[in-house]
Amino acid sequence: MTRLSVRGISKTYADGTEALRGVDVHAADGEIVAILGGSGCGKTTLLRLIAGLDEATTGAIEVDGVSLTGTNPAISAVFQEPRLLPWLTAEANIAFGGRRLATDDRQARMESLLARVGLAGYGKRWPRELSGGQQQRIAIARALIGHPGVLLLDEPFSALDPFTRANLHDLLLDLWRELRPTVLMVTHDIEEAVVLADRIVVMRPHPGRVQETLPVDLARPRNRLAPAFDLTKRNVLRAINRSLAEVPSGPGPTAGNGFSPWV
Amino acid sequence: MKRHTWMVGLVIPAGLAILWEIAVRYGVVGGRLMPPPSRLAQTAWALARSGELLVHIEATMTRVLLGFALGATAGTLLGMLNGASPLANRLLDPSIQALRSVPSIAWVPLFILWLGIFETSKLALIALGVFFPVYLGIFTAIQSVDRKLIEVGRVFGLSSAGIALRITWPAVMPVWIASLRTGLGLGFMFVVAAELMGASEGLGYLLLDGQQMGRADSILVAMIIFALLGKASDSVLVALSRPVLRWQDTNRMRL
Repeated sequence: MTRLSVRGISKTYADGTEALRGVDVHAADGEIVAILGGSGCGKTTLLRLIAGLDEATTGAIEVDGVSLTGTNPAISAVFQEPRLLPWLTAEANIAFGGRRLATDDRQARMESLLARVGLAGYGKRWPRELSGGQQQRIAIARALIGHPGVLLLDEPFSALDPFTRANLHDLLLDLWRELRPTVLMVTHDIEEAVVLADRIVVMRPHPGRVQETLPVDLARPRNRLAPAFDLTKRNVLRAINRSLAEVPSGPGPTAGNGFSPWV
Repeated sequence: MKRHTWMVGLVIPAGLAILWEIAVRYGVVGGRLMPPPSRLAQTAWALARSGELLVHIEATMTRVLLGFALGATAGTLLGMLNGASPLANRLLDPSIQALRSVPSIAWVPLFILWLGIFETSKLALIALGVFFPVYLGIFTAIQSVDRKLIEVGRVFGLSSAGIALRITWPAVMPVWIASLRTGLGLGFMFVVAAELMGASEGLGYLLLDGQQMGRADSILVAMIIFALLGKASDSVLVALSRPVLRWQDTNRMRL
């Protein structure tokens, strides 16, 4: 039972850069919400604020109606890079995420998650002995071992090849069905957002604001080749184009947003 | 086959030793200032049998290890303090850096004046030599710990102490051990300096005595024993650190 509410969050850095202005994002219990946008729209900043790694200038972050300050056991994260601790074995890295669990429980969950992410038998390996995709699987297991209510994902699949990425999408959905965390994921990959999310929040840059929120009314499992899938992708793309069209020719690169208006 | 490739390194020293032995035997060279290997072996044997060699080795190793322990402990503690606390760093680091600019040997006269010519001044010199690389190593290592890993610790609920213990410490471990090895090497360098400035025992004394008595053989024996002791101590340090550095590339361990 975990609702996540981000209310009126603004973030201005010490150097005066305004990263976010008045952002509202809500995620219902067990919902997957994707935050979609190009560079400079503050999506990673937003995730860092929710994770408690940075402090918002104004606004509040609430979990089940309770306002958060700093890091919180209810909130866990997978980063863009696996960020495994290189001096711990794969299984010790998973267990690291479950520091608050009792030892027996932690061991049992570690073993089951290791198997669930398809790496049974790899537990004693060092991170450097694992591929990028395997490391990210361990990072996902580490994020889930402590029963988080909210799972934050910061472009966790962007550095992987398309085959590995598709595999990990399936794995994530399987684990989500089983454990039902509320998921807030940041991505710049439209297809990834449509494959995974219940709702897509499109952000616009300079400063980061919410452009619009689109529901994804597609039954799971989703077929990437179905016409309805394509239709949703086009709707998302239109929303992104609207966000770019309204960007004043102000500071920052407009060509570097990662999207070209081709619809 | 592969296992014996290290023996290739023996070819040049062993070859030179044999050539030198032959050259001296057949009167091609005198061998008084550069005694042949057989002569060195005799000298070493004589020193060992009389028990004299053991006394010298013991004296030198005691000085190195005590000085190393003092210098490494101080360097580690101060490096950790300055790496962890910006205030301590601003307060202490400029002074430490200034002292570092003084060549350690330049302290000798002052140490003798303050601490006398016996053990204390020798230990102080060795400890000082060991201190700087260890301090600098751990200090820079703490400052360059990957911020991203620290964030992992924060997200998963570690306190500041927990982060220091479970993220920072293992992350700086490889650099710390490398700096200990450098420090130990310098410890041997400074024990020679300390013993040359006046000692009644120790391998440095053997060097000085050899010079004064015109005994090139005992000088060379002392040098060879320094080499063996230095290599052996470093190997012990590497062996001790191996279990905690297993997570690193194995290649690096052999360096």
